[in-house]
Amino acid sequence: MGDIILDVRNQKTAFVTARGMAQAVDGVSFTLERGRTLGVVGESGSGKSVLSRSIMRLLPSNALVPADSRVILNGRDLTRMTETELRRLRGPEVAIIFQDPMTSLNPVLTIGRQITEVLTFHMGLKRRAARDRAIELLRAVGLPQPDVRVDQYPHQLSGGMRQRVAIAIAIACEPDLLIADEPTTALDVTVQAEILDLLQRMVRDRNMAMILITHDMGVVAGRCDDVAVMYAGRIVEKAPVRDLFHHTRMPYTAALLASIPKITDPPHRKLDAIEGRPPDIINPPPGCPFAPRCLRADAGCDAEKPVLAGTSRHQWACLNPLGEEAPA
Amino acid sequence: MADVTSSTQRDATQRPEIDRNAIAIALHRRSRRFGLFFWIPMVWLIVVAVACIFAPFWGLPPADEIDWVYIQSPPVEGHPLGTDNLGRDLLSRIVWGGRVSLTVGFAAPFIGVGLGLILGLIAGYYRGWADEVIGILIDAWLAIPGLVILLLFSVVFGGSLFMVCVSLGLLFIPTAARITRAATLNYATREFVLAAKAMGASDIRILRKEVFPNIIWPLIAFVLIDIPIAIVVEGSLSFLGLSVKAPTPSWGGIIAEGREVLSTSPHIAMVPTVVMFLTVLSFNLVGDAIRRRLADVREGAI
Amino acid sequence: MRYLLYRLRRLAIVLGVVTFITFLLVNVLPGDVAYEMAGMDSSEEEVQAIREDLGLDRPVLLRYAEWVGGVFVGDWGTSYINQENVWEAITDRFPVSFELMLLAQIIALSLAIPAGVASAFRPNGRADRIIGSLAFASVSMPSFMTAILLIFIFALGFGWLPATGYEPISEGLWANLRPMILPALSLALVEWTVLMRTLRAEMIAVLQENYIALARAKGMSNMRILLVHALRPSSFSMITLLGLQVARLLGGTIIIEQIFGIPGVGRLLIHAVYTRDFIVIQGCVTFFALAFVTANFLVDIAYAWLDPRVRTGGAHG
Repeated sequence: MGDIILDVRNQKTAFVTARGMAQAVDGVSFTLERGRTLGVVGESGSGKSVLSRSIMRLLPSNALVPADSRVILNGRDLTRMTETELRRLRGPEVAIIFQDPMTSLNPVLTIGRQITEVLTFHMGLKRRAARDRAIELLRAVGLPQPDVRVDQYPHQLSGGMRQRVAIAIAIACEPDLLIADEPTTALDVTVQAEILDLLQRMVRDRNMAMILITHDMGVVAGRCDDVAVMYAGRIVEKAPVRDLFHHTRMPYTAALLASIPKITDPPHRKLDAIEGRPPDIINPPPGCPFAPRCLRADAGCDAEKPVLAGTSRHQWACLNPLGEEAPA
Repeated sequence: MADVTSSTQRDATQRPEIDRNAIAIALHRRSRRFGLFFWIPMVWLIVVAVACIFAPFWGLPPADEIDWVYIQSPPVEGHPLGTDNLGRDLLSRIVWGGRVSLTVGFAAPFIGVGLGLILGLIAGYYRGWADEVIGILIDAWLAIPGLVILLLFSVVFGGSLFMVCVSLGLLFIPTAARITRAATLNYATREFVLAAKAMGASDIRILRKEVFPNIIWPLIAFVLIDIPIAIVVEGSLSFLGLSVKAPTPSWGGIIAEGREVLSTSPHIAMVPTVVMFLTVLSFNLVGDAIRRRLADVREGAI
Repeated sequence: MRYLLYRLRRLAIVLGVVTFITFLLVNVLPGDVAYEMAGMDSSEEEVQAIREDLGLDRPVLLRYAEWVGGVFVGDWGTSYINQENVWEAITDRFPVSFELMLLAQIIALSLAIPAGVASAFRPNGRADRIIGSLAFASVSMPSFMTAILLIFIFALGFGWLPATGYEPISEGLWANLRPMILPALSLALVEWTVLMRTLRAEMIAVLQENYIALARAKGMSNMRILLVHALRPSSFSMITLLGLQVARLLGGTIIIEQIFGIPGVGRLLIHAVYTRDFIVIQGCVTFFALAFVTANFLVDIAYAWLDPRVRTGGAHG
């Protein structure tokens, strides 16, 4: 066991809306060790992004988090901290990369300014030193001509280059935990692999822990140590990546895996998208949230909400898991 | 993410879920109901309107009658608000002046929106050179300060109440025409209008039956904004002595006369100022509440 | 570039229409300047003689063409009343009006920016509601009312500032500014609300942007996020409005100059209106329209400064 960087216990996040309470994250618990990468996979609306913002305590004012939810980073409880204390952690201890590099960089500030402000605020660097360090960081993330780019504005860069800048900002203060929230979804396919490789290298070189959020099982496959599958705000299956792929227990995970396009597929084959829609999180069904879309669901699934069970290595929340076929 | 604060301080205030549901919905509803900020100004407006409309029946001395006994006097018996520097009853002048303000306040926006509606319909429906010409006229209109236009008109066409209403109404044409044009462009290409055209409906009929009902709501909202503006501009104009001709009293005119004696009898300027301020504020508050309600009704939120 | 040419052509046409309509209007004045000049008890023949003397009996179109030709060579005509050169009359007084408008706009902005930022920070929060109510009250006070109230309180009540008057800058900066404070404040107290509401609305939208979320994730303070990250991208509509407001401000100066006895273009215009000195009216209106067009052109330049996407032309997308 390495040292535990992040310990999330029973995180619940709900939003007050005109229609009622939307329970976006519903009792998520996991731990993450130094040097390891956790993939969080789910469809859009499954609560992945809200989870990442809940960890960073970056929630809008209509969000409600119950008092028994805990986020412990490096042994300190973020839920008990004041806004000022949290501010000192964001950057040096935990950093985030957002999905869309087109909108996550400020259009009216130069690239350099957006990096140096982190360095001057958190590390107390002087102007010149911060600038030199920013150029160094841009070189490290593989941006060509970093000494020119540092004075340019985001719109002068391509999407892939912008995401490199976002990575440079995130690693500027050498955080212990990096959250990458769909870092490649908005990018061209050709650039996606480059960015993911870069992220992986940065995390390995600096011995950070990373949470890689994605809706694409294919992204997790080669790049994560563990995978947590989320559905309707809950973790429904969690295991080391190899176990998850080879001994899938949760039908939802199986459906996600089936939706990865394979090289061996004939061209123009129709993708196996999962039938139906995610449940309404304002009025969730009483039983298993996946039951209405699940081929294996029976009457029991509609009545009872399954809880995470299994071994500490491989956990799943399902009443009729795969690999436990009832005798015919 | 509109709020830049964290939600940490809220964590402790967790209550049972059903409860919070109800509170959230109730709060949302309540913010949409007509509250005190609607009813108090509404009552004030009704009081002012009744006082002005039935001005001849209150037994007030005529607004231009000079009482030689009390000149520039504080409130005394017979003159509940005192008299101005010519010995005319202040209350009577304010009530009669209110008739001018309210008439202009209601007439001008309707004239302006009516003309703007016609221009906007033509520009948006026929497009082409008509659109271009109307666009240039509107741009030209906007390039001159509104008050300057009014100054010109007041000199050219004199100071009758009717002309004041018309020239003030002209101020509201550009915006009304733009709103109408945009909405007409939007609706004139929709299926139901094209269908009506295909069935041989005349242009007038299409405009009246298909386009007009769809743009009437934004224009009503616009009239609501314009009423207080019209009252304010009429006030400015009569303050400069370029609205209705003396001795017909108007609020701006009374304030202008009161300004001359501000140091000795401040009440002459202050009373009409307060009355006018409260009236304009009330129109703003009532209009705002109605507009929000209209938006809700149209969105189907209620 | 083509759009810019289109805009320029359109502006030229607009200026033409403005001057022509004004010319038509002032030339159908029922009591024309000839009556005014001839005096109360002059005969119809005398008036007619003056008219011919001034060339007022010739067709309107011809006179308009002459006037436009004159404007292009810098001859805006001569006042019928006091023979003053119109161009000089306007340019002599314009700096005074300009100072008043500039002061008013500075005050309005220095009220609107903090208030707008404070209300956008927490929409419907306490600060937002207080500022919103103040704005409602403020917008219900026309500038002449505010002026009278300010005179009553600060000039007559406390005696801190003069009620009327004007001092040229040659008398010293403070001597020049002191009588300008109340007039500028009267204008600003109306204008700030529009600026504030526009800034607030745009800032609320900007605060939802991802780059603001990232700035928070970087651990930046609320103050820094609001002022460094959010303010500049939020101020585009407000800047546009500053240009459009020039028309309103010009209108406002007319009344304010009259109340405070400030010798600006507004007073020149009012005086010309009272005396039906139409060539001066014509000059003032043309000048106002020009000022308005110029102000909006400057706003376009301000965009380039505010938005690097416009400034650098955008190398990629």
